[in-house]
Amino acid sequence: MSVTDFPLLSLIILLPLFGAIVTSVIRNTGLAKLSALIFATLELALTLLALCLFDKTSGDFQLTEKLAWIPFLNIEYLLGVDGISILFLPLSALLTVTVILASWNAISYNQRFHFALILALQGITAGVFTALDMILFFFFWELTLPPLFFLIGLWGIGSQRRNAAMKYTLFMLAGGGPLLLAIVIMAANHATQVGGNFPQDLSFSLLALLETPLPAEKQTLVFVLLLFGFAFKAPLFPFHTWLPTTAMEGPTHVIALLAGLKLGVYGILRFAMPLAPTAAVEFSWILSVFGAATLIYGGLIALQQTNLRRLLAYASISHVGMVIVGVASLNMQGVQGAIFQLLNFTLIASSLMLIAGFIQRRLGSTDTVHLGGLAKVMPKLTCFYFLFALASFGIPGTSGFPAELLMIIGALTSHAVFGTAALAGAILGATYMLTFTQRAFFGPVTHVTVSQAQDLKFREFALLCVPALLILLFGLFPGTILSINQIASETWLARFLSVPTVL
Amino acid sequence: MDFLAALIPLLPFLAASVIGIGMLLGWITGEKSESTTSTISIGSASLSTLLAFALLVGDLTGNGAGTYSIGQWLHSDLLQVEINFITTGFNVYLTALFAILLLIATRFSVNYLHREIGFHRYFFLLNLYTSAMLLLVSAGSTVGTFIGWEIAGLCSYLLINYAYDRDVPATNATRVFITNRIGDAGFVLGIGLSFFYADAVNWDDLNNIATQLSMPTATVIALCFTIAAFCKSAQLPFSPWLARAMEGPTPSSAIFYGAVMIHSGVFLMIMLQPLIEQAPFVMMLLAVTGFFTAAYSFVVGWTQTDVKSSLCFAITGQIGLMFMECGLGLWELAAWHLCAHAIVRCYQVLASPSFMTNVHGSPVKALSPHLQKIHWLYVASIQRFWLDPITDRVLTRPIKGLGEDLNFFDDYVVDRAMGDPVSSSRSISTLKQLEEKIKGTETLGDTPRHFGRGNGIAGKLMEWSGNILGWFEERLVIQAIGVNIIDLGRTLGHAANTFEELMLKPRYIVLFVFVFLLIAGTR
Repeated sequence: MSVTDFPLLSLIILLPLFGAIVTSVIRNTGLAKLSALIFATLELALTLLALCLFDKTSGDFQLTEKLAWIPFLNIEYLLGVDGISILFLPLSALLTVTVILASWNAISYNQRFHFALILALQGITAGVFTALDMILFFFFWELTLPPLFFLIGLWGIGSQRRNAAMKYTLFMLAGGGPLLLAIVIMAANHATQVGGNFPQDLSFSLLALLETPLPAEKQTLVFVLLLFGFAFKAPLFPFHTWLPTTAMEGPTHVIALLAGLKLGVYGILRFAMPLAPTAAVEFSWILSVFGAATLIYGGLIALQQTNLRRLLAYASISHVGMVIVGVASLNMQGVQGAIFQLLNFTLIASSLMLIAGFIQRRLGSTDTVHLGGLAKVMPKLTCFYFLFALASFGIPGTSGFPAELLMIIGALTSHAVFGTAALAGAILGATYMLTFTQRAFFGPVTHVTVSQAQDLKFREFALLCVPALLILLFGLFPGTILSINQIASETWLARFLSVPTVL
Repeated sequence: MDFLAALIPLLPFLAASVIGIGMLLGWITGEKSESTTSTISIGSASLSTLLAFALLVGDLTGNGAGTYSIGQWLHSDLLQVEINFITTGFNVYLTALFAILLLIATRFSVNYLHREIGFHRYFFLLNLYTSAMLLLVSAGSTVGTFIGWEIAGLCSYLLINYAYDRDVPATNATRVFITNRIGDAGFVLGIGLSFFYADAVNWDDLNNIATQLSMPTATVIALCFTIAAFCKSAQLPFSPWLARAMEGPTPSSAIFYGAVMIHSGVFLMIMLQPLIEQAPFVMMLLAVTGFFTAAYSFVVGWTQTDVKSSLCFAITGQIGLMFMECGLGLWELAAWHLCAHAIVRCYQVLASPSFMTNVHGSPVKALSPHLQKIHWLYVASIQRFWLDPITDRVLTRPIKGLGEDLNFFDDYVVDRAMGDPVSSSRSISTLKQLEEKIKGTETLGDTPRHFGRGNGIAGKLMEWSGNILGWFEERLVIQAIGVNIIDLGRTLGHAANTFEELMLKPRYIVLFVFVFLLIAGTR
């Protein structure tokens, strides 16, 4: 662990926040939009710089920064990245640029505030991915709520958008409580084990907490609390109901952000499992059952959907289930596949949602009743949609395939049953995506509105090209992704292998 | 010499990429670009064929090393997948044969599809398919073969859907792809299990270790691949997809379902000969399924009235015989049968549009009078043994029903239980609500307003505890029960009835069995 002189990660967090202030201050709307785009692009450049500086041969946290924040309670401003989190930074920054471009002309009022909020959300998300102090993490975690509340409530497309925003916020707050409780229990445990002096011996640093193992009986409690906290955001069955509502009511580009950035699963991977390794190994089968249930449940419901946005919401839930099965398999293939798939979401799920937004903007609906024969009228949009749909159910050549293959092999290796469930999910995935494609994109054009719709404009075409190319690149050369998180995954996994297995 | 194997699938892939990018950017469009597209396609296919024959000569003269690896494709712990090719024996013969058949079909298509709207799209897909098929037969690893397998299936989907603005092709294409997806799942399961039990990702490793595997293990692995093979080669019970797949343009039907792709199941079985010989049960299954498919195709073939359908059942019948030969241990015969059949069918399907003119004046020979009297066989033949309706009944409808039930459950049970602030926040979001508010006839606001109102389990718990406290505050006012409790009982009884009815449906019984297995399997 080396402390570098230049605070690159802080800059990655602060630049978009600063950009948000600048954007909201500029009076001219056009200039404000431009400044938002420039800041988002700069942020992307910074995150790519961080990726270049990152040394993938080390399993430690890198680019770390450490400052005292609340010295009285030993709460630190501690940032760092490892092979698991580093790739989320450039991909989330890319997603922000894409979202800003996608919503360029879609906002009718209060544009400055809108683009400022999107930038702020990017800064906060970068904070979630880099924070290594539990309180700092919690701070960023909860801070994602205000921008999203306003983005969904103010610029949503459904008539119930305010309620959707409220529902989202309440669900996320419900997850916050258990999270904080678990953090406090762990910090208190650290204090007891080190010397027993409160509050001098408290520690909220992830690195310190990983070194002071919890006693077995407390591990179960902490694991369940953390899992409960993260399950809302993931979302896992039965805490998923906010996602379909938000997908129907919220603005599509914001839903693209929500569907693309799976912070909940990241939390399970980063915090819930390593901090309570014995409990994680003991309950990995419960986690798998939950994952498999979410996977099949989401897939079956998605079969019934006639609206693309709602379908994508349930597809997203189903995919999260699969990632959980991958993580819970506790072997290299499962974990690397899961991380790969989480990165895929920022490209695939979000792009599909953006395309749904393009359709919504043109036709005023994404329901099959109002669609039909889109391929004839919008060949380019259909091409992109189809490519992303293929990636979402793991066709070779797209990045969905190596990720899904690894997760299935990982799950098969741990428990054959879960591997089979994952395969059933893959069949379901093809079924609901293709059935919808058939109804909405193929067949004759039946509506006048559809026949007059315009194909992708240059801006939309260009912004979809980048994720499309990345999907093909990662699909043809999966080593580019896997080599970066290999050492980190081995380090991650080593924490569980030292635990005596109970199964 | 062996490095040629890598170029053979690569060239058509590059051709497909060039055509695809050209189409997307608008460089290749309309009739004037037809010559560009066809030159690229024929050029790449010819080069691939030449290389395939060079490789064949190299192998026959004993200059080949047997395998060729470019490097690592995917690496995760012990799982190491290489991009490698088999450059010897049956794989090379088939590569050469398929390459030349694909070239012939490509050349045929240039004239056949002249001035068609989807000309460039067709050639993009044909090139991609050529690449996938050549990869399928030459890849050295299970994953490599699967990549070819799956992309070939995708191309098949898109070509069945060639006339995508009509409803029938779109429906058929979806159904074909989803049927094939079941086989693909078997293939992936096979890849996973052969890695798990035998640490093998390459075909050679799997076959070498096969003799050391116990019989049950070998049976399970072989069974997974067999399902994939049955599905891809349209054997029972997956046969009906083939008739649906004939929707695409004729040259594509010839090359997909007459000559090349349809044989990949048999090819897979011949590849896995050492493994399958370890599993007598699978051998038996191959022979029995092959026999029944041949018989089924023979009977159904009698009543087909159009060329493509007749050919389709003739094809499944012949392939059934190949599976039977594999099952009986006649591997060499099956291999020869495959090659001969590919050549004959390629010609037959390509020539099928002119079949009517060719046979003009020579009527079809009538069925023998003995068979004509068996009426049930006639009905079964016309109905194609009811395979599609049975699948619908057994698989499609229960899954759809389950989806419907879960959708209802999600909306009315989970969502309500988790709580939904819709009614409590009482914001005005529609014009109607605003008008109602102005008029004072607000429908939302006619219930007396409580300070706190909750929804869902957590919300209700809060509300109830609040109410209880409030109740204490109001100094234990005695409340009347009576009517409420009867109503509650009635509602509960009704709910229990519905639950009972649902539980008796077969799909839930099956589901419970699965859940039980899932839990039993984990412990």
